[in-house]
Amino acid sequence: MNGARVLRSSPRLRGPLVWLALAALLSQLLALALGSVALSPGELVAVLAGDGEALHRTLLLELRLPRALAAFGTGALLAMAGALMQILLRNPLADPYVLGLSGGASVAALAAMLAGWGMALVSGAAFAGALASTLIVFGLAHGGGSWTPTRLLLTGVVMAAGWGALITFLLAVSPVERLPGMLYWLMGDLAYAGSPWPVLSVAALGLAVVLPLGRTLNVLARGGLQAAALGVAVRPLEWTLYLLASLVTAVAVTTAGSVGFVGLMVPHMLRLRLGNDQRRILPASLLAGGTLLTLADTLARTLIAPQQLPVGVITALLGVPTFLYLLQRSQR
Amino acid sequence: MSGLAARGLIAKGLVIDVPGRPDGRPLDLAVAPGQRWGVLGPNGAGKTTLLHTLAGLRPPRAGEVSLDGRALARWRRRALARRLGVVFQERHDDFPATVRETALIGRHPFLSPWRQEGPEDLARADDALARLELSHLAERELATLSGGERQRVSLATVLTQAPDIWLADEPTNHLDLHHQVAAMALLAGQAERGRGVIMCLHDLNLAARWCSHLLLLYPDGQACWGPAEAMLTPAALERLYDQRLVTAWLDGAPVFVPAR
Amino acid sequence: MIRRRRGLWMATLALWLGVGLPGAARAEVCVSDDAGREVCLDAPARRIVALSPGVTELLFAAGAGERLVGAVSFSDYPPAARALPRVGSYDRLDLEALLALTPDLVVAWAGGNPREQVDRLAALGLPVFFSDAGDFAAIASSLERLGVLAGSEAAGRAAATRLRGEVAELRARYADAAAVPVFYQVWEQPLMTVNGEHWISRALALCGGDNPFAGEAPLVPRIGVEAVLARDPEVIVTGGMGKADSSWLEAWRAFPELTAVRRDNLFVVDPDLVQRATPRLVQGTRALCAHLETARERR
Repeated sequence: MNGARVLRSSPRLRGPLVWLALAALLSQLLALALGSVALSPGELVAVLAGDGEALHRTLLLELRLPRALAAFGTGALLAMAGALMQILLRNPLADPYVLGLSGGASVAALAAMLAGWGMALVSGAAFAGALASTLIVFGLAHGGGSWTPTRLLLTGVVMAAGWGALITFLLAVSPVERLPGMLYWLMGDLAYAGSPWPVLSVAALGLAVVLPLGRTLNVLARGGLQAAALGVAVRPLEWTLYLLASLVTAVAVTTAGSVGFVGLMVPHMLRLRLGNDQRRILPASLLAGGTLLTLADTLARTLIAPQQLPVGVITALLGVPTFLYLLQRSQR
Repeated sequence: MSGLAARGLIAKGLVIDVPGRPDGRPLDLAVAPGQRWGVLGPNGAGKTTLLHTLAGLRPPRAGEVSLDGRALARWRRRALARRLGVVFQERHDDFPATVRETALIGRHPFLSPWRQEGPEDLARADDALARLELSHLAERELATLSGGERQRVSLATVLTQAPDIWLADEPTNHLDLHHQVAAMALLAGQAERGRGVIMCLHDLNLAARWCSHLLLLYPDGQACWGPAEAMLTPAALERLYDQRLVTAWLDGAPVFVPAR
Repeated sequence: MIRRRRGLWMATLALWLGVGLPGAARAEVCVSDDAGREVCLDAPARRIVALSPGVTELLFAAGAGERLVGAVSFSDYPPAARALPRVGSYDRLDLEALLALTPDLVVAWAGGNPREQVDRLAALGLPVFFSDAGDFAAIASSLERLGVLAGSEAAGRAAATRLRGEVAELRARYADAAAVPVFYQVWEQPLMTVNGEHWISRALALCGGDNPFAGEAPLVPRIGVEAVLARDPEVIVTGGMGKADSSWLEAWRAFPELTAVRRDNLFVVDPDLVQRATPRLVQGTRALCAHLETARERR
């Protein structure tokens, strides 16, 4: 009944999303086209048309496509986690790293890897780690009864430092021959990503959960009291956001390790152009985060091929100057 | 819900929770439709805490607040937000937003999750912006506004919400003389239309001029309340602010000036 | 051109089908790898990719050098290995470059290659042999098994026999040698050595070398300088950072109370000869044993 009306009244919301979706599609095509083996456009089209040589089919459909999709899904998850954490903390500079979420996930995942567990168990451990970090941070920050974003942020920063120390400890006691792999994983690396479906389905699930919450999140961004006064059940909503951010971060971390800056940068940059309507920012963050990581991973695969760079290096190299520039501009 | 007694916002035996302060005198007061309550008191007397408690945003230490005969705790937040509107003194403008978007969030309690704001909601927000002389700023970013303009946007948001009970914390904060009067006239107009208004005020003379009822809140938790004319005695006010006052009568209302 | 590619396509397809349908065609060559898996090929491999410098060396030694079509960075021995196309480094494989070489056998390094990437190759239907040679016996057996897979069975067996003979000869010569406490330094910052399971420690043990850190749990433990001082080894040996790089040894001279320093028993061996588990380890072992003999003479 309201459906038609929703669509009619929202071209303003959809315009940028159409462009971002196009960019996402292009980034996927680019990721398919580029690799250490050069393929001609004709060969590319042949494979996409369901034809082509066996080798080319394998390269495109078994190697590049799953990896490009995994990159897209991971970027989308990281950007979504960032956008959610920023609303949760009422701080445009928050991201899953700041609150120790990814730290908890990384420590648990590393420990599981060291114990020789399989990928499914590593994912489970990462989620447990992110959740444990969540509970500790929220539990401690809540201790005095007040639950101000500042207190939360401070607790999270300290927790993140603690996780960092544990990561260093795990690296120090792990076998030398496994160090390079663990280090690459910590730097953020899609070379180990298996099937793209976990990240993609969690991204879809996350979007399905947050999209109906869009306007509510807009209200929450104005502060907890203001949101409560406008009819938002603040505490349950904040828990939902934190749990969702934990799940999303854990899945992203198990797929690609710690890829920095996507969660921080993407929502922040989009906000400069699109304002802060979550109904626009959240889907836009997913699309832009996915596109960014797909492009970054394509660079990581091809820049010095056949040597492979971890994608986290690319996002950080792009992210740091971009972020400093934005910060500089916002001070004016 | 028997008769008029239960209508409006009613505090029974209410002790607000200011940490480290004795209970003082429990409050028993009713903000009935059409009344304009002013809350006066020095800094730290608990005016904002009282307002938040009356809005159900903070639990009281003792007693109960009810709306239309039902305790606030038993209201669903969303249903409550359709009846109670709060003008906050503190604001969190960490994220970019335009003036119109900000006014529009007043419609939030009335819209289901999937529903976009429609033309009717936009019209309400634009009316509210026009009423507060903000139409020309509708597309501006909040961050570019002056303090007074920002304050008027807050009033416009609650006007868009159109609640039965207004709870306003320093509604004239940052406003110039003209807009102070405009803001008080707006709240008085709301009361005339049968809404209840309760506001914290710093300015004695605005309170004397615009409020029908007053609540004097002392820092030690003591309080007294009643119709404005009964409360505006120099002795009580001097004790309230610990400041000698000179009283004059102008335009049919008392005017209080601090004595030198 | 097209015809040739089609041929390749058919060959690949046939290979995959053959591997994918057990029992459809009787496998011609089968060996078990170091991960305990059975690796079967319809026909001896003609296009092999080696995923570590050590594995490359093993394959050349097993007579499969000319069937190698790809290797990873730092695969520098024998010199012919330098010319092989690269497929990334041992810890980060370029799977695309690897697949583009259309290999019919991948020899992986069980301890060093990223498991996820090698599993991906196996999932794509490529036969994978996991190599994890940790001592002379395993090196010899690897030579035989890789020879079988590469169709150079005779060369592989000959290399294995030669290796076993050389080791037996060394073992006989040092059977009655007096024990020498010896510290092998793998790296300086952080200070690393090997435990008793490591082939370097086993090589030292062959001629009376007694590794004071043999009981440590990790294969390559990180230790403190104090631990070395406390155990006061009679000999300190290192591969350094390259041939004849003795800079790490000089640092030990700051501790003149060490027996090894007092007697000047600070020796360098060519790291390439001892730090890869390949037939060249025999030469490395000879060098190590000679140093231990020198130390005995200085008693």
